[in-house]
Amino acid sequence: MTKELENKLREEVRNLLEKGKVDRVIGYGAGSLRFAATPLIISDKADVDRLIINPFIHNNLSVFLPDVSGKVAIVAKECDARSIISLVQNKQIPRENVYIIGVPCSGIIDLGKVEKLTGLDRDEIDDISWQGDKVTIASAGGAKEFTAQEVLADSCLGCDAGGFREFDLVIGEMKPVAADKELIRKRIKDMEAMSPAERWEFWKNEFSRCIRCYACRQICPVCFCDRCFVEETEPQWISPLPRWQDNLIFQAVRMMHVAGRCTDCGECERACPVNIPLGILTGKMEDIVEELFEYRAGMDKDAPPLMAAYQPEEAEDLIR
Amino acid sequence: MKKIKKQSVRGLLEKWQKDFSVFVPSKASGSSQMAVWDGQDLAFLDRNRNTVVPPKANFLPNIEKMFGFRKEEDGYVLEPADEDAPRQLIFGIHPCDARAIAIIDMVFRDAYEDKYYLSRRQNTVLVGMACAAPYDNCFCTSLGFGPADATDVDIMLTDIGDSFVIEEITDRGKEAVAGAKDVVEATPADEKKAGEVKASARAMLSKEIDTDEIAKRLPAAFDDKSFWEEIAAKCVSCGICTFLCPTCYCFDINDEMLKDGSGARYRNWDCCSFAVYTRMPAENPREEKWRRVRQKVYHKYSFYPELFGIIGCTGCGRCIRQCPVNWDITETLNNLPAGSAARTEEKQKPS
Repeated sequence: MTKELENKLREEVRNLLEKGKVDRVIGYGAGSLRFAATPLIISDKADVDRLIINPFIHNNLSVFLPDVSGKVAIVAKECDARSIISLVQNKQIPRENVYIIGVPCSGIIDLGKVEKLTGLDRDEIDDISWQGDKVTIASAGGAKEFTAQEVLADSCLGCDAGGFREFDLVIGEMKPVAADKELIRKRIKDMEAMSPAERWEFWKNEFSRCIRCYACRQICPVCFCDRCFVEETEPQWISPLPRWQDNLIFQAVRMMHVAGRCTDCGECERACPVNIPLGILTGKMEDIVEELFEYRAGMDKDAPPLMAAYQPEEAEDLIR
Repeated sequence: MKKIKKQSVRGLLEKWQKDFSVFVPSKASGSSQMAVWDGQDLAFLDRNRNTVVPPKANFLPNIEKMFGFRKEEDGYVLEPADEDAPRQLIFGIHPCDARAIAIIDMVFRDAYEDKYYLSRRQNTVLVGMACAAPYDNCFCTSLGFGPADATDVDIMLTDIGDSFVIEEITDRGKEAVAGAKDVVEATPADEKKAGEVKASARAMLSKEIDTDEIAKRLPAAFDDKSFWEEIAAKCVSCGICTFLCPTCYCFDINDEMLKDGSGARYRNWDCCSFAVYTRMPAENPREEKWRRVRQKVYHKYSFYPELFGIIGCTGCGRCIRQCPVNWDITETLNNLPAGSAARTEEKQKPS
């Protein structure tokens, strides 16, 4: 199945490059470590056979779009495709310069979860195979079976793919992910059940680990500001020292800034080297945006950006 | 050589706790790092893979107060943050991370002696543990040492099953072991076993680089803009590879001041991958991403050898394993353009 999809993708991409329809292609290639996939940016059709599709292609490649020149084809899962449209809505890229190739996605396997479940690091695992709703993980200690829900990325459990209409081409048949909304809501519900004091303690503890590497911001396609408020010095909004209070302010403000642009793709949490559960914040924020504004980022390229559009007749006069 | 039964290590750690803050590999905080031993957890005796945050944080903390100050009528008065660095013992450090400390010693002991770093260094005992399970990203054997090299630690432990074989490397190491209960002489069979364990760890490493070839190619590769642009394309300019690198030592300095003029000067980790790097004193001479990626490679593999005669990388592979896009420095190093061809190509290309 995966091989067929890969062949189809390569064929289509070769065709696009040969016909000069695009100058560059952003896709996934094989990574250098076990199970790793890596972003692959190519312009030569000789490199087309390096493109891959598998359940480990977690990167949201739209982060590269503003920096890649010319007409660009991009391989996108539906969640990532919404980020592309979010960039279009926010005038970061012209829609006509991007050719969106949709790939069927049944969810991305979260290697962090696999490591937790098995007690093994990813390089100690020999094979991960996925059939139906079962995932089998083989290592020197034998094979173990898990349900797909146990190993899928949180963002995939909350997936409500379908209804996205902006693909320029779809490889294979788009099928919904084995989503489990209750499971993904669990982290948010647990948080909601906490008292403000407990919540404060929770985040104090989480943000005490932050080393301020800014991987969450850099990997985020919709954190596209040229200058981030954290690096402003006049005035200085937060201290450059990674104290938990400043780390919390950084993340809280970042969340507010990407509200209405964030598609909860999960990359910020996956990138975090110290395991801060940022998905709780992005998930909750997306909920609020949907509840208050009936708005989902990146679904309609013609819809005005949620937080960056203003109508003179609006009742609130805080901007006037 | 000596040895100690694994079940007796608790006693040894408790003995050390009387004299030192004892740090061990730990995941208790939610991330993997060296943390103060809680007196309970001993999982690291059987399973000790490289921590995510390297032990350099014990010498160059991410928040370090340099001095306080306050404003008086005739100017500022400095209040040195001169409390002595804590006596610490780092248990279970791997040879790559110990080598990394030895490498950054060279910077902090150079023309300017950095008292903050050096006082921590002088008050630390490194209890190394031979690495029994290198990651698939590790390539220390290409850097002239190996997963069981004892050169840079005070004491070296090798896991031989139910016991550790102990090598006392420095006087400081001998002193720390002296009088310890349950430390006995190792038998020739123990020593043989330790040798086998070390050799098998070495054999587990699969990643390789050729440092001679790299040294040959680096001078000419510097100007090959198209090579660096391609290499850098997927980098997102975050700070993971440098912050988690055991030999990256860049720091930023900031003053924090209250309205009354009192405050303190601090330093924290900085990173040459950031677009705003060095913008405070002047500007970043490496505005484009490819220049920043190139800088990281050259600092470790060209400038460091020129200045100190040693490559500023220990092959620990954190920059590969933790990278959110799997940017792999060994791929860059193994594919450097061959000298003259690269130069010519660059010159022929219209800019």
